[in-house]
Amino acid sequence: MSERDALIDAQLDAVDEALSSGSVTATEDLERELQELALALRAESPDPDSGFAAELGGRVRDGFPRKPRLAWLPRLGMPQLAGLGVAASILAAAVVVAALVPASEDNVDLGGGGSAAVEQPAPEPLEDSIDKRLRQAAPAESGDAPAQSPAATSDEGFAPGRRERAIERSASLTLAAPGDRLDRVAEGVTTVTERYGGFVLRSSLGTGDEGTAGGSYELRIPEARLQPALRDLAKLGEVRSRTQSGEDVTSQVVSASDRLEAARAQRRGLLRRLESAGTDTAVEALRAQLDVNAREISGLRASLRGLRLRTAYAAVSVELQAIGDEDSGFGDDSRGDGLSGALDDSLSTLSGSLELLVRALGALIPLGLLAALGWLGVRALLRRRREGALV
Amino acid sequence: MNPLHVRSGGVNEAIAAPMAPAASDIPDETFACLYEHTFPRVYAYVASLLRDRSAAEDVTALAFERAYRKRRSYRPGRGSPEQWVFGIARNAALDELRRRKHRAGLEGDPEDVGAPTAEDHAELSLRREVVRAAMAGLGGQERDLVALKFMGGLSNAEIAQVLGTSESSAGTRLHRTITKLREACHERA
Repeated sequence: MSERDALIDAQLDAVDEALSSGSVTATEDLERELQELALALRAESPDPDSGFAAELGGRVRDGFPRKPRLAWLPRLGMPQLAGLGVAASILAAAVVVAALVPASEDNVDLGGGGSAAVEQPAPEPLEDSIDKRLRQAAPAESGDAPAQSPAATSDEGFAPGRRERAIERSASLTLAAPGDRLDRVAEGVTTVTERYGGFVLRSSLGTGDEGTAGGSYELRIPEARLQPALRDLAKLGEVRSRTQSGEDVTSQVVSASDRLEAARAQRRGLLRRLESAGTDTAVEALRAQLDVNAREISGLRASLRGLRLRTAYAAVSVELQAIGDEDSGFGDDSRGDGLSGALDDSLSTLSGSLELLVRALGALIPLGLLAALGWLGVRALLRRRREGALV
Repeated sequence: MNPLHVRSGGVNEAIAAPMAPAASDIPDETFACLYEHTFPRVYAYVASLLRDRSAAEDVTALAFERAYRKRRSYRPGRGSPEQWVFGIARNAALDELRRRKHRAGLEGDPEDVGAPTAEDHAELSLRREVVRAAMAGLGGQERDLVALKFMGGLSNAEIAQVLGTSESSAGTRLHRTITKLREACHERA
């Protein structure tokens, strides 16, 4: 400490001594003078008016009563107001983030943009499957017809008078589910189809950056079990569209059956004539007619088989669409079974919440830093402006 | 000397004692005690700074009401309750000064805040006039310092806390101001 600092301290101590004792106590002239000045300055202290003092004292005792305010308005302190401010900021940031974040791969159509279509093989070759199941559904026609089959003919009309109608049914269903759950929905489609004795004719699933982007299934489901199967399929996801149609093909079945019967009768007659043919020329001509007849029978059998397949099995097409988590509104049945499904759901929800929180924080932290800097700047500015009144 | 202006050394200790160290709330009873101990000095400080009794009453009342409303935000770590109240009063007084700066600057004629009575001794009366004139010659920041020290009765450390500066800096500035006042009194005497 320098000599000057020591002198200053001594003089300030002398001033404090005079203020605390209320008298001049120093022996040194300068310090005595300062003590006298200090006492004189304190003597200049203005006293408050007694009326004002009494009034303000009363207000203090009453706790500074406020003017009447609306009763329903809660009285919020700074912590509550700060909490409300933070909550409002988070909400605003979440809204901004939700509005600014572009649509994810979940909403990309099949085969579009960055998604890659992956064709899944059908469970078995189409023709084999149809033949096998047709034979199971209806007894096969007998005979050794050649494999070549002409185009089936179809007659217009509705075959009145027949009690058993042949109805060709079809249905289409569009299911939506979050992209990360679409695989499970696709498995569910296969499971439901097999549960009702049907089969998957064709399927495709498209994958994107964030899971499955979409897919389509062509199913064949026994006509008699179509409705319960559709109900179970609808439970797999959010049903965006659902259509059903039926076409009466009884007349086509009747026509094909009648023509097949006629062709077989013709074959029997040709065979009888072949047995009694006397010349080689007659034999060759009959063989040629039998070949034509065989092709006709084969074509009619294929046509009839196709008709029976189409009426015995309903054609169901299922379209799978990926949607964002926030858009999904389907029940728990589509999200898997039991505890594992529930755990998956809760983890997915938690993950989504964390993702939203991180994005919100990403926006809030810079905003908070800016706000803090602004607040500090405003405080410094206000202080300088106040101090400016003394300059 | 007005006994109200004699500072009670244990005021802050008495007020702070019932409160836990981390408490940030001043109970009503404690606030009333704080008010009783600081009101005359806060008023004297504000009146000396503003040189307007009417405005000083308004500002003093406003300062105590603000302190009452904000009593839950008081933090013991930032200083004693007295310093806190003086800080609020100072801000209110500076706001008032700033509002009316264009019509009444600090350099104006000193108001007769304590007019001498008939029984005042002639020498005392003369001395008071000299001191008032010297005070009128001070700048705003110097007047603020003198008012905090001699009217508000704050220690140098408390003044430093209110002004947001160090104790040594506050002491040095105070010494410079007192010296300036002394020289001004000599000139006028």
